[in-house]
Amino acid sequence: MVFITAQEILETVTMIRSENLDVRAVPWGISRDDCAVVAPRPTAERIHAKIVRRAGRLVAVAAELQEKYGVPIVNRRVSVTPISEVVGSDDPAAYVEVAHALDAAAHEVGIDFLGGFSALVQKGCTRGDSALIEAIPDAIAGTQRVCSSVNVASTRAGINMDAVLRMADVLLAVSKRTAEHDSIGCAKIVIFCNAPEDNPFMAGAMHGSGEAEVSINVAISGPGVVRSVVAANPEASFIDLADLIKRTTFKITRVGELIAREASQMLDAELGIIDLSLAPTPAVGDSIAEILMSMGLEAVGAPGTTAALAMLNDAVKKGGTMATSSTGGLSGAFIPVTEDAAMARAAADGHLSIEKLEAMTAVCSLGLDMIVVPGDTSRDALAGTIADVMAIGMINSKTTGARLIPAAGKKVGDWVTMGGLFGEGPVMKVNTAGNSAFVTRGGRIPAPLQGLTN
Amino acid sequence: MRTTVIVTALGPDSHGLLAQVATTIAEQNANVDDVSQTVASGMFTMIMFVSFDQGESTIAALKEALEKTGEAIGLQIHVQHENIFKFMHRI
Repeated sequence: MVFITAQEILETVTMIRSENLDVRAVPWGISRDDCAVVAPRPTAERIHAKIVRRAGRLVAVAAELQEKYGVPIVNRRVSVTPISEVVGSDDPAAYVEVAHALDAAAHEVGIDFLGGFSALVQKGCTRGDSALIEAIPDAIAGTQRVCSSVNVASTRAGINMDAVLRMADVLLAVSKRTAEHDSIGCAKIVIFCNAPEDNPFMAGAMHGSGEAEVSINVAISGPGVVRSVVAANPEASFIDLADLIKRTTFKITRVGELIAREASQMLDAELGIIDLSLAPTPAVGDSIAEILMSMGLEAVGAPGTTAALAMLNDAVKKGGTMATSSTGGLSGAFIPVTEDAAMARAAADGHLSIEKLEAMTAVCSLGLDMIVVPGDTSRDALAGTIADVMAIGMINSKTTGARLIPAAGKKVGDWVTMGGLFGEGPVMKVNTAGNSAFVTRGGRIPAPLQGLTN
Repeated sequence: MRTTVIVTALGPDSHGLLAQVATTIAEQNANVDDVSQTVASGMFTMIMFVSFDQGESTIAALKEALEKTGEAIGLQIHVQHENIFKFMHRI
């Protein structure tokens, strides 16, 4: 019998009950390669049937594991093969029909979100990719649970600037179509560079073509646990602090490993990956910003923020890697603005700008995430902002993403409330200096030297 | 197959807390294998290793009964399978 001390038991209970340790999502990746047929309706029907057949037990299994281990499993989600690779059509209406089938299936099996209404166009668009992108406004505005992502750049291919411009147009269209709800549709669209094919986090989750038929990917999260440890050690040196964070994330990740092993066994699916990301929620204390503040910063955005985040992100990875051999996904600290109450406050107080967030993007996971910008932001300003984030990912051989919300009718300083895990936050200022002559040059920014690794 | 769960109870101290929790566990056909309990500054903390055979009880039933008892005597009682503690703290 493994000996467990009273101190260890109470530590675990405190993490779960007081410090918001939870399994953020148990996403179930399902391959759709066998659903492709020429006509859109049979494809949509097959996709719907396969999700319901394979993911039908996901919610029940998640509930069973939550009961057994007493650890909350916050979201149940499904990701699918990028839809542009499945639907063999150049008609946008076919993709919209599939989006409705995905939404209906998600509703039927009781999952929160379904990701994979996606295309990978970093080097160029097929007619199918192009039709999917054109369908995104109708697909997102007309469904509740479908999430979309488009990979427009990679270290090996460069940045497809034509696709960046099209995605800027898509964001503006979705903003208008969902204007009644503070343009919330844009929160379900991610634009990626180097998108991981096994990302379990929405809105960018997908089940890439290199994945198994079905697999379980687990995203574990506990910013509150890390914050408590950091706050309890105000005198610790950087080396000691990094060590404390590593020890803590090791423990957090082990919970993810346990849940992933059991869930994959119970669902007869491959164990995919454990995502080591620290992901915040709008709940007080469940915040990346508060970890950075506990390190000694008055607010996120203060000088030193990027260094603090770099250290946190690195320690999270080191601790997590020791806890599982199945790392994957995004695996890093997230810095969404509206989903993190202290981050939103820093932006509202003027401590945090889009430019500072861009710098932070270079040292952590994802990028300009859940940032609300004025509804009248121009297509070219959006495209330039997206291109900047893509460039950071391309040059540094890492995943970056943009989840920008041009909130219809809102101006800088207005407050936008999206609710739930999407949270709330201020409308942030976008640099309005002209860039049209640059972003409209057409074609692709070439792949950097970093892509030539063979 | 025998299942072992860890029951933790926290709350203000009063007479007979351990007895009432143990009685509920017995009523659920489970056995207390080990117990440690302290009172510090009026706060009662108890950890119990509890086991039962498949078919005699379930985690869900034990949890429901203990949460009910906890509400009645002013304790927060948690029931968790032992594996979460093993996994978190040991390789």
